[in-house]
Amino acid sequence: MADKRTVIRTKPPLWTRIKTQKFLLLMLVPGLIWYLLFKYLPLLGLSLGFTDYGFRSKVSFVGLENFSRLLSSTIFWNAFRNTLVISMANIVFYFPAPLIVALLINELKSLKAKRFIQFLIYIPYFFSWVVVGSIFVNLLSPSSGLVNNIITKLGGESIYFMASAKFFRPVLVSSYIWRQMGYGAVIYVASLTTVQPELYEAATIDGAGHWGQLWHVTLPGIRSTIVTMLLLNLSHVLLIFEQVLVMYNAAVYDVADVLQTYVFREGVLAGDLGYSIAVGMFTSIVSLTLVLSTNKISARFLDEPIL
Amino acid sequence: MTTTIRESRSRKLFHIINALLLGFICLIFIIPIWNVLITSVAKDVDVMGTDYLLMPRSFTLQNYWRVLNSGYMGAFKNSLFVAFLGTAFSMLITVPMGFALAQKHLVGRSVIMKAIVFTMVFDAGIMPFYIVVRSLGLINSMGAIIFPVAISTFNLIIIKNYMASIPVSLIESATLDGCNDMMILLRIVLPLSVSIIAAVTLFYFVSYWNRYFEVIMFINDSRKYTLQVVLRSLMFESDESLGGGQYVYNNLKMAVMVLGMLPVLVIYPFVQRHFVSGLMLGGVKG
Repeated sequence: MADKRTVIRTKPPLWTRIKTQKFLLLMLVPGLIWYLLFKYLPLLGLSLGFTDYGFRSKVSFVGLENFSRLLSSTIFWNAFRNTLVISMANIVFYFPAPLIVALLINELKSLKAKRFIQFLIYIPYFFSWVVVGSIFVNLLSPSSGLVNNIITKLGGESIYFMASAKFFRPVLVSSYIWRQMGYGAVIYVASLTTVQPELYEAATIDGAGHWGQLWHVTLPGIRSTIVTMLLLNLSHVLLIFEQVLVMYNAAVYDVADVLQTYVFREGVLAGDLGYSIAVGMFTSIVSLTLVLSTNKISARFLDEPIL
Repeated sequence: MTTTIRESRSRKLFHIINALLLGFICLIFIIPIWNVLITSVAKDVDVMGTDYLLMPRSFTLQNYWRVLNSGYMGAFKNSLFVAFLGTAFSMLITVPMGFALAQKHLVGRSVIMKAIVFTMVFDAGIMPFYIVVRSLGLINSMGAIIFPVAISTFNLIIIKNYMASIPVSLIESATLDGCNDMMILLRIVLPLSVSIIAAVTLFYFVSYWNRYFEVIMFINDSRKYTLQVVLRSLMFESDESLGGGQYVYNNLKMAVMVLGMLPVLVIYPFVQRHFVSGLMLGGVKG
């Protein structure tokens, strides 16, 4: 209420406001400089994607040459295909996992058990990709790993998971789920507590069983969280990078090289800056289009868009 | 009557299955970490050529002792250096900025908020970022793994949202008592924000500790490598399925790995609930 009154009152002139807020504005300065340097200056750097920047001392404008080069590069198309396949697999297998686990946790009666499980499955989220990757290397090691131990005990042959074109993508997806699931589950559990208990009572009176309640009360009650999580996932899914960079190796480039690792190799390691910026720009634009269109579609199901 | 009994029976069955499922899920999370921990304290004879999976057969701190006296300590120190200095620097610019943005009367607030949220939606990507860091002359300096990643917009918004929820009347009365904004932040807002500050400090600490790709992108001098970088080459380049050359005992590898996850294992149990409340505050909406 008090806020409204201050808005109605005419504001003092800008200069006076700046003078009275000098300390506040001073506090903003370091952060603003940081955003300009490390978030907005790189945006200007995108224009180098239209140049041959990198090898020669003289930079010249080449128009869309970098883009036509990428469209005719088989390595680029391979990376693009891998990115789409891995992203699809991540969305299909990873996205429902935290929701299902959260619903299971929600059914537990013991508060202690609820807390313990959330505590436990949230731990890997704080491990680096190097640690998570290492844990999987250890688990999947052909001679000493637990998984191959079980396989050989059951009479199978040891599998070289990390070097196998067939198994590398499933390894990526499962390690992704292992690390990220707890984060999503914890958010869903918190969101489930906001569903009003009266709604369940009303549903019971209307004759809804447990599945009916799940379908008509629980899921609609957390739909905005579900859509937010979907958008969050979609916004990084095509930008998958560090996990692959840590876990891949030359033996699986064919199935594991994604757009971002391709950019990294072409740009940082090979020094072809202009071209790699063009590839990166392509990735960013496709990713942004995906997020914005999902946001638009979701806005029709929700009262308001998430973004 | 019979239907209610049958229903409660099916509910009971459901609860048993649910508990079993969740128990299984717990094992998926416990076993891989448990295996790392017990292998890291195993004696050489127990890991040489035999399986060492779930049952610990020996206990020794010898592996940690070896790591302590090896080249890995340099990388461990670098990681600590970056994590402590980086976290301090990040907090020093994030907290005042979050506080300023939490004040509704701030000049230009909505423009600045829009500009900040925009950076979350559209990112220029790896290479333009690399070129900026390179032209600032930061390549191969520890500054390259601190300054360019000093602010996490997510953390900034958590702090801003929390501080915006502090009653305006507290701030107004302090202003009437002659406090300037700097004093208000230090004397009134900070003491009320201890738990969120703790959570964000740890978010930052863990993110600096875990950094990998920025280090290999910006640092060429191997003496400046952090623990994550050397752990990665230890685990992946010596792995037999990848045709690794030198043979390193698994117990030693696991000891280095435990060092790599140390901050999380030590700090996380104490601050878990702050992490959760922090996540909820950082909703995408600014």
